Order: sequence, then structure tokens, then C-alpha cells
Amino acid sequence: MFVFVTVGILLFAATAVLLLWIFLPTHRAAWLIAISGGALALVSVFIWLANPSAQIQLPAWQPAALFGQSLTFTSDLFASTFALSIVALSLSILFTAVVRDNFFNPLAWAGNLALTALGVLAVTADNLLTLALIWAAFDLTELIIQFRFVEDPKRTEGAITAFAFHALGILVLLWADAAGATGGDSFNFHSTTSQTGAYLLIAAGLRIGVLPLHLPYAGDSPLRRGFGTALRMTSAASSLILLARIPAGSIAAAFEPYLLAFTTLAAVYGGWMWLRAPDELTGRPFWLIGIGSLAVIATLRGNLAGAAAWSCALILCGGVLFLSSEPQRWLTRGLWVGAFGLSSLPFSLTASGWANTTPIFFLLWIPLLLAHVMLLTGFIRYISHTRIRNEDQPAWAKNVYSIGILLLLTINLLLGFFNWSASFQTGNLTASLIVSFLTFTLVRFTPRLRILNPVRAHWVRPTASTWLDWSYQIMQTIYKQTSRASAVLTTMLEGESGIMWMLIFVAFLISFFAQNAP
Amino acid sequence: MTITAPTIWIFFPILLGGSLAFVRNRKFLSYFSATVAVLLALMAQFVPIDKALLIGGISLKISPSFAILGRALTIASTEGALLTLIYGGAALWFFGSLAIYNTTQIAPLGFIVIGLLVASVAVQPFLYAALFIQLAILISVPMLVSLSQPPGKGVLRFLIYQTLAMPFILMAGWLLAGVEASPGDLALAVQAASMLGLGFAFLLAIFPLYSWIPMLMEDSHPFIVGFLLWILPTMALIFLTGFLDRYSWLRTSPQLAFALRAAGLLMIVSGGFWAALERHLGRIMAFGVIAETGFSLLALSLNTSAGILILFLLIPARTLTSALWSFGLSVIRNRVKTMRFSDVRGVLYDAPLAGAAIVLATLSTGAFPLLAGFPPRLALWQNLASVSSSAALWMGIGILGLLMGAIRSLAAMSITEEFTGWSSQESLPQRLILGLGMLGLFILGTFPRSAQFFLSDLPLMFERLGR
Repeated sequence: MFVFVTVGILLFAATAVLLLWIFLPTHRAAWLIAISGGALALVSVFIWLANPSAQIQLPAWQPAALFGQSLTFTSDLFASTFALSIVALSLSILFTAVVRDNFFNPLAWAGNLALTALGVLAVTADNLLTLALIWAAFDLTELIIQFRFVEDPKRTEGAITAFAFHALGILVLLWADAAGATGGDSFNFHSTTSQTGAYLLIAAGLRIGVLPLHLPYAGDSPLRRGFGTALRMTSAASSLILLARIPAGSIAAAFEPYLLAFTTLAAVYGGWMWLRAPDELTGRPFWLIGIGSLAVIATLRGNLAGAAAWSCALILCGGVLFLSSEPQRWLTRGLWVGAFGLSSLPFSLTASGWANTTPIFFLLWIPLLLAHVMLLTGFIRYISHTRIRNEDQPAWAKNVYSIGILLLLTINLLLGFFNWSASFQTGNLTASLIVSFLTFTLVRFTPRLRILNPVRAHWVRPTASTWLDWSYQIMQTIYKQTSRASAVLTTMLEGESGIMWMLIFVAFLISFFAQNAP
Repeated sequence: MTITAPTIWIFFPILLGGSLAFVRNRKFLSYFSATVAVLLALMAQFVPIDKALLIGGISLKISPSFAILGRALTIASTEGALLTLIYGGAALWFFGSLAIYNTTQIAPLGFIVIGLLVASVAVQPFLYAALFIQLAILISVPMLVSLSQPPGKGVLRFLIYQTLAMPFILMAGWLLAGVEASPGDLALAVQAASMLGLGFAFLLAIFPLYSWIPMLMEDSHPFIVGFLLWILPTMALIFLTGFLDRYSWLRTSPQLAFALRAAGLLMIVSGGFWAALERHLGRIMAFGVIAETGFSLLALSLNTSAGILILFLLIPARTLTSALWSFGLSVIRNRVKTMRFSDVRGVLYDAPLAGAAIVLATLSTGAFPLLAGFPPRLALWQNLASVSSSAALWMGIGILGLLMGAIRSLAAMSITEEFTGWSSQESLPQRLILGLGMLGLFILGTFPRSAQFFLSDLPLMFERLGR
């Protein structure tokens, strides 16, 4: 029931902020309402932890003969950890908003709270039907927000592409549901079979941008630090939860090597591009791909706690980096807590990330650890870079901003020590030490090696075609050729001789089906 | 006092439609006809047939049958829910015509078409249904043509293909009578089934006999075509289900289930394929409608009570989706030269609600969760997967095509070179209708229980299939 309390608080606060913006647009209480809503929601998530496995089932859809599943939510440890991460991120975004140039933006605050509410529902979904519905709600909300905030219609292309891939992810999820139903049972996360596990993984991969590798938001976005972070991170969290729900051994052995290969490729690509991005916001899509790939790898290795840990690191470590904009020395040093969280060292948030579970081909460790190293090196480089001081900020704003950053760092540390199956772990000590050593080396050598230095902003999307662009172009060519062929067929069927062609088709189909009928 | 059900739901609408043909006031036509349609729907839902009612000391009884020229028109109490759906759906179009220009003919002729189609369900012997359907098709032609312009190719082809259905169905009925008399005559049964198959292939515009649908969407007013593409296939499907219910040898034939499944999948896959490649908003709707009929045929192919439940669950979703889609297209059509992608660039910023309605309606047809089309398609997909996983995969491919159609429509309407800001140019009634329609899509998609009030009794129409 606490799930609905949290969601209710967030939605109530979002509605209140929105109404205030509509009827009293200059009223300054909107931010206080948003902050209060976020804080109360965070407190309510902590209350879940006292009752971690409570399940809420809504009345089944009618007619009952057709629908075996009903909307079900759970507040188990994975769900509560994900919820804690995204609610903390939401509150942190509201706190840090005070130092932004466009501080007074009630619409963005309301959007942030609404997205967080949907994110909480997504991470607590306990079956595929519930998850599909929440994903759909999330995608529609995201699409509307993108259209509302992005005032350059050329940029809407990115939003539409993202929506397309998300919709495809939902379709794959529903296919998993249908394929699961072939056994005659009502399908849910707990009854995942080897037939369906791979589909679930692909569904999550599609939504994060890993399987197949795609970059719907590669272009620059005006939704940068605050609300943009909420949008990207909450969206990723709502998809990543699926990785923590796929039981170990439920992915068919035949698919596994290919999935591993593609995901490793995506991890290395994400890590490399993240390392070479000119700043953290430009590199954000690659951060999502890089860490998302590591989470997918953990699922493929049957390490669900690891997948959840990488996912939480994506939200918390990424969140704290993307929200940091002020040059406060002690706070900048505090960001090293984020680097620790990402390091997979013992007792860190990602300690279980490389935990020994299903063995993989030993050579695969090289690119995987390399991807981790690049992601961590990039993270350290971005926390160390110079930030421009905004002299106009009042003292209270700087303090409030600090609370937002500290909140995420505290949750990051807490999750390494308390609460859930991925906490208080030593993990894979060898892997974490190798990663730490290589990261240290790479950080030292970055200024001396040109190839490791960031490229200029306009080079992040190079004018010369990359292999990714080539694959898009090939797909586009196939699409255009198919389109031409269909136009010829349409002209034929709708032209003067169309009726004759129809009759020929009918004769052909009848003879074809007559031969194949049972 | 006794009044017959056919008088209320067949003769009265036909006479009313004839009288309204002389009225030119668009607002009056819209409000009056929508109110009458709603009243007829409410009566069908709440007034029992063949039971005496005492109203203020007057005993009123609606008798189910009306005899005419030696034949009978019978509306049983189990058919009340169907009438509610049909007249309720018609009210959506009649009310919608308030906000769309050049649609004054939809209410008068719409009442006549609906009256004739209800007669096709009610007539005994049911063989005469084909004649009523043919009459309805002939009456619908004036809705599609304008006095000032010659009829387009689509209208002519619509008339030809739908008319071709009648002789095949009449022939099938005649042969079926022979099969009933001598059940062992296999050759006769095969002939009857073939005739029936061809008749329904023309009537339901089964692949590849549907070329008139996209042509009609391109030539004629989308709102009127939307109405016809809702009512004609819906009633034809009920008619087909009646056939299956009546003849047990037909119902239990594995060949028929195979044929229905193959036809349904062909419709869904080809509809999805063309929706994904099409560059005209109206034609995308046409392919969506084609796929919609495919879903219904697939539901029938399941040959179980679940299949009938899904068939009826598809009807309200189809009604609302078609109404909203055609309404949105009509709003956009008034602002652009043609509905080709090249002409609708940026129209989303001038008509955001109409654009959103089109996209949501397309997504609903493509089984996008939260929208009206999702629950029946989910149930269909699961049931189909338990029968044949390859068939379920093909259905998924068709759905993917429909989703691509939705995304391409959105891209075509939103991506433009110049952005002048959001400014909704839709009129207040248009905004109201579009807003309520979209809300309805979400309600039906999230709470399918909300339609059960009308749907729970519908399967009882069919003595064997529905029980």
C-alpha cells in the first residue's frame, strides 16, 4: 500500500504545482510545494523498507475468462532500492534547481514529480501487463514533455525516434507475454522460461539503447541539467528494473553468446564515447549505454543483484555528476564518493557488479573491464574539470544546492552498506582492483595521450560516417526500396487493371491455401 | 399496448432518416440525430423485449417479431446489447458532424443504413440479409459522392466489390439449404463453403479485395468513409458469426478455422505492411481499418467462447478508434491541400488535438498499451499463441507495421523547417469532441471493465458459439 502512498504524494504535489502555475503563475510557493512533496515521498519510501515484500493486486480486468493477470505491484528490496534512487534523484533535482539560470520553472518541477511517480510505479510492477502499461504511460508522458519543451521541430526527430524504440521495447515485452502464454499458464516474472528470458532482455535493451545499439538522443538537447536529467535517468530506471526481474538461467543458451557479444560491443562503444565526450552532458547518452550494457551483462551472467547495482549507479552516480554545476571545493571532493560507488570496490554500491556467478569466456573479460575503466575514467575526469562560478547566487541558494548533491551521495553510500542483497559485499576483488589500477593509470595518462583527450563538441557526432551511421543508412535504403516496390504494387492493384489482378490473386491464394489446409 | 421491436429499431430510423434528408440546418441535424440515436441505444439496453411494462397505468409490451410479405423481422432480447452498441456508436458520428463541414448527409442516410443493417441481422430466413446489406450499400453511395464532382474510382470500386458479395452469399444460402437436406453430400458442402467464403471475402474486403478502401479514403470525406468502414464490416462480421453459429458442420470444420486464420493474418500483415510504408494520412487509416477486420477474423478463427468474447471486445474499441481517427483526419483535411505527408508538415502545431487524436487512434489499432485497442489484442495474441506460435508471430509483425504507421504519421505532422509556436486553431466543439474521444480511448484501454456493461450479454446472441 505504501507504493500508492509514495505515488499519491508525488502526483498530488505535481498537480498542486501545476494548478498554482495555471491560476497563480507568479506565486513563489510552487517550489516549496514541490520540495515538500519530494521529501515526503522519500520518507515514505524509507517506510517501505520496513515491509519489503508486500504485494498489491488490483481487481482483474474483465472478462476474467480472457485476462489471467491483474495489475500487481510489489515493494520487494529491488523495487524499494530503485524507488529510493529515483525519488532521491527527483528531490535532488528540485534542490539543485535553485542555482540554475532558469530557476523558476513550475512546469518542469511538476513534470519531474509526475515522471518520478510513473518511475516508482514502473519499478514496483510485478508482472508484464503492469510493466507494459506503466511503460506506455511513461513513454507518452515523455513524448508530450519533449514536444512541450523542445521548441525546435527539427529536434523532435530525436524524441520520435526514442518513442519508436520504446514502443518496440513494449512490443517485445508483450511478445514475451504471448510466448510465455503458450505454455498455458499466466505469465509473470517468477515463471520466466528460457523461451522468454531473452525477449525480456531485448525489451530492456531496446529501451536503454543497448540492443541493438542506437542513440535516439545523440543530438544536443535544451533540457540539460535539471529536468533533462530526470527525464533520462527515470526513463532508464523504469526499463532497467526488468533486468533485475529476469531469473538466473532463464535465457536460452543458444541466444546467450550473441547477446553477450552485442552487449560487450555496446559497453565498449559507450565507454569510449563517454571518455572522449567534451563534457558530461554531451556524453550522457553514452553514459546510459555504457552502464546500461554492464547491467545487461550482469543479467546475462545471472547476477541480478549486480544488474540492480549497476542500474542504481547509473541513476545515483550519473545523477550527481549531471546535477553538479557549482565550483564548491568540498562538494567537488565529495563527488569522489560517486567514483567510489562506481568502482566495484568492496562495500561500494557496485561491489556486486562483477560478482562471480555464471562463468563467461575468459577473453570477454578484457573488453568488459576496459569498458568499465573508460566509464570510471570519464567520470573522474568530469568531476575534476573546472566549473564556472555563478557570482549572482545568494548564499541560501548555494546551501540548498549542496543539500541536493549531498543527498544523492549519501544514498549512494548507504546502498553500499545497508538494506539489500547488493550491499555490504566484497564482490570480485580481482576485477575491481584491476579496474581501479587501470583507471588510475588512465587518469594519469589522459593529459599526455592525445587519443584519450576529449574531442570538440561538434566532433562528437562526426560528419564522416561511422559504422553506426552506415547501418542506419543500409536500413533506410532497404526501407526506401521496399517502399518503392509497394508503390508499384499499389499502382497495379488500384489502377485500371486492378480488378483483374485481384481475381488472379484470389485464384492464387485459393490454390495455395487449398494445398496447405489441414 | 404492443409495439414491435423492428418498428422501433428498423422502421423508425429509416423513416426518420428519410425525413431528415430535407433538413439543412447542420446544428439541428447533429444534435437531434445524436439525441435520437442515444435514446434508441438506451431503450435497447434498458427496455426489455417481449416483457410487459407498466408505465403510469399503461401496459406496454415490445414484441420481438414483425411479419412482412411472408417473412419475419425478429429482434430477440439477446440482441439488445448489439443495438446499444450500434446506435451508441452512430451517435458518436452524428454528434461529431456538428464540428465538421460537408457532412450533413451523414445523419439522414446514416439512420437509413443502420436501419437496413439491423434488418439484415433480424430477417428470417436469414438468407435475405444479403439483400438488406446490398440496399444499405446502395444507400451509402450518395453519402460518398458530391453533386458537383464526378464519383471517384474508389466509390465505383466500392460499389462493384460490395455488390459482387450478394450473388455469392445468396448462392451459398441456397446451397446450404441443400446441405441441410442431405448432410452427407460432401461435394455440395464444399461448393456451399466456397461460395460463402467468396461472398464474405468481397463483403469484408478480405485481402486482396480491399483496394477500394484506401482509394475511398483518398477520394471521399474521411468522416463519412470512417462511418461506413465502421458500420459495414461490423454488421458483416455479426452476419458471418450468425452463419457459423447456425451450421455446426461449418463451425467445427478445421479448414474453416484455417481459412479464417489465414485471411485474418493476411489482413493484419498486409495492412501493417502498407501502413508502415504509406505516405498519406487517410490511407494509413484505411490500412488500419483493414487490419482491424483481420483481428476480428482471427478472433473468430479461435472457434471458442474466448474468440467470441474477443470479437465483441474488439467492437467498442473499433467504434471509438474509427470515430476519433476519422474526426481528427477531417479536422486536418480542412487545413491542408491534401493529406499527403508533404502537405501536412507542421500541422500538429496548428491542430495539436486533431494530430494527437490521429496518432493515438493509430497507436490504439497497433495495440499500444493504455489505449482502447490494447485489451482485446492482448487477449487475442495470448489465445492465438496458445494455438499457433507462428501465427502469433505474424500477428506481431502486423502490429509492428501499424505502430510504424503511427510513428511516421507523428513525424510527418511534427517535423517541419519553420516553427511558429503552438497555436490550437481547432474550434471549441472540435476540441471538446477530440478531448472526450481521447479520454475514452484511455478509459477503454485502462479499464476494459467499463465496456462490460454492454458486452457481457452480447455472446448470448449466438446460441452455440456464445455459450
